[in-house]
Amino acid sequence: MSGGLRIALPGGALFADACRLLTEAGVAEVDPARFERQLRVTAGEVTLATMRPTDVPVYVEMGACDAGIVGKDILWEQTRDCYELVDLHFGACRLVLAAPEGSPLAEGRFPQSLRAATKYPVAARRFFDSRGLAAELIKLHGSVELAPAMGLADCVVDITATGRTLTANHLVEVAEAGRSSARLIANQASLKTRSDAVNRLAAALRRTVTAAAVAGAAG
Amino acid sequence: MQGGACLDFAPMSALQSPARGRAGGFADWIGAAAQRRRAVAEAFVDTFVAWGYDYLATPLVEPLETVAAGVGGGLQTQLFRFMDADGSLLALVGERTVSVARVVATQLQDAPLPLRLCYAGPVLFNRPPLGGRRREAMQAGCELIGHGGLSADAECISVAAAALQRAGIDGVQIDVGHADFVPSLLDSAALDPAARERVAVALRDRDLVAVEEALSGTEAGDAERELLLTFPTLRGGRDILDTAGARIRAERPRRVLAELAELWELLDHDGISGSVHLDLGAVRDWDYYTGPTFELFSADLGFPLGSGGRYDRLLAAFGAAAPATGFVLHVDRCCDALLRGAGAQPGAGALRLGYPAERAREAAALAARLRLAGIAVALDLEPSAAGGDRPVADGAAHLDGGGALLWRWRGRDGSGIESLLAARNEAAG
Repeated sequence: MSGGLRIALPGGALFADACRLLTEAGVAEVDPARFERQLRVTAGEVTLATMRPTDVPVYVEMGACDAGIVGKDILWEQTRDCYELVDLHFGACRLVLAAPEGSPLAEGRFPQSLRAATKYPVAARRFFDSRGLAAELIKLHGSVELAPAMGLADCVVDITATGRTLTANHLVEVAEAGRSSARLIANQASLKTRSDAVNRLAAALRRTVTAAAVAGAAG
Repeated sequence: MQGGACLDFAPMSALQSPARGRAGGFADWIGAAAQRRRAVAEAFVDTFVAWGYDYLATPLVEPLETVAAGVGGGLQTQLFRFMDADGSLLALVGERTVSVARVVATQLQDAPLPLRLCYAGPVLFNRPPLGGRRREAMQAGCELIGHGGLSADAECISVAAAALQRAGIDGVQIDVGHADFVPSLLDSAALDPAARERVAVALRDRDLVAVEEALSGTEAGDAERELLLTFPTLRGGRDILDTAGARIRAERPRRVLAELAELWELLDHDGISGSVHLDLGAVRDWDYYTGPTFELFSADLGFPLGSGGRYDRLLAAFGAAAPATGFVLHVDRCCDALLRGAGAQPGAGALRLGYPAERAREAAALAARLRLAGIAVALDLEPSAAGGDRPVADGAAHLDGGGALLWRWRGRDGSGIESLLAARNEAAG
């Protein structure tokens, strides 16, 4: 149904849900097991490629893929010229400002100088700027919650789905800085030159996630 | 190790020489690629000139003030900027329309309108390297200044299409939109200013999820809102103007639809409406464009090959208010499209002409004659002893001791000048 489209899929946490959604939407029968031995799989008329989530917008912007599935949190951090077409609703998580229990910040008082550790410097900068707060950002690549415990930073700006990691590290949420979920993105030229196929893909995914949301609300 | 080719790399010490580096995002163009790039740029400019556009060369450097007067802050931050001797800021140009506008407002301020001007040259962007995006690009374009009618917009679209065709790029799709369609819908959709701004920003960011979020919970519940939501599918032939018109009551968006209908007629007269898609959802820089806009796409490429539109406000920024429309073609992207499509062709190299010492004078005269006939000839710098053997390599020729020319060129071989010229005419025809 989606004639010859090349779709980029994020490896990692969103991968299984992305495969399931494409299958349920009737775009292609996608068996995640097929990706164990290869990164590129042809399913029906579509070609699927799996990659690190941060690389999905790169493949789509450069036209190596027509469309892709990627978390909004990845899109915050990259300036990529892609169309963001549909909120796919899975992979939901929040970007929060969190501080150690008992710290002034955790009690709602913003210190004059603030060091924040984050994997999301662009979104964190936008958050602090929008509230007129001066914060020095420290970009880390993993386990951000370690930074306050070791005295590297006063607080963190990080993604949380359940809040468990924060609690386990004695961090309390101070403010929400953003909400993320998986998105369907498309290359600007593909949207114009293969608009029928891209629009059909978007409509099928939208229908499926809407139906799932309705069923979820009813159940 | 089996199966892999074994490359004989130079020792690391030689590779680490800092003098051999090249800045990221820049490219060398060599051989067939260089020839193709030059041919594409020439095909563009030749087309522009044939349509009556005067060629204009503007500098690679402009004062940042001049650039700032023309384009918004968005592009400015992407420019290479540096300081002049007096401390003022200069920039390497990231596009050339502003330079053309400056010339029109100064040296050409008394020239009779309309003015048809064209250019070709490099532009530079100070983007972070490693993103896969070029930092230097060749652009060629036209500006038609001093005419506010749709015939000028139609002419620009036709010139752009003709230029791509002349460069051998087939299957081009032209997406035509209008800078005022989405804003006029926004204004007539009964949105409060904050919601309108949120929708406008989301549309500019191409984030349709955010558009939906911004529209939900607003007062706008009418046809305009529905149109804004179905924006990516608002594309198609002439009939979508009627489809949209049937759903819109407000006067301003209806006027836009009428303009596009008239433009479609003009493009139909030019015989290119078959390649045109109307794209009502086209979102371009609203602060810059004021009327019809267009983008050119090839099915083989993820980026537009070119874009353009009406920009009636720019000249006023230089104190010479005049309506204007124009477009730019991206030469390097067009080369990419040629390489990916069927249009790829290996560049024909020069014919290398060898000769024995006693025929040197004759060889020079022969080379001159062949060049006049349009065959590129590289004359050997030293005479060779090779006798009457037939040349083996394609593109090689030599005079033998008896003064006879033996040649092998473009997969054929023969002897004598006349047969070579005949082969050349055949190749050209």
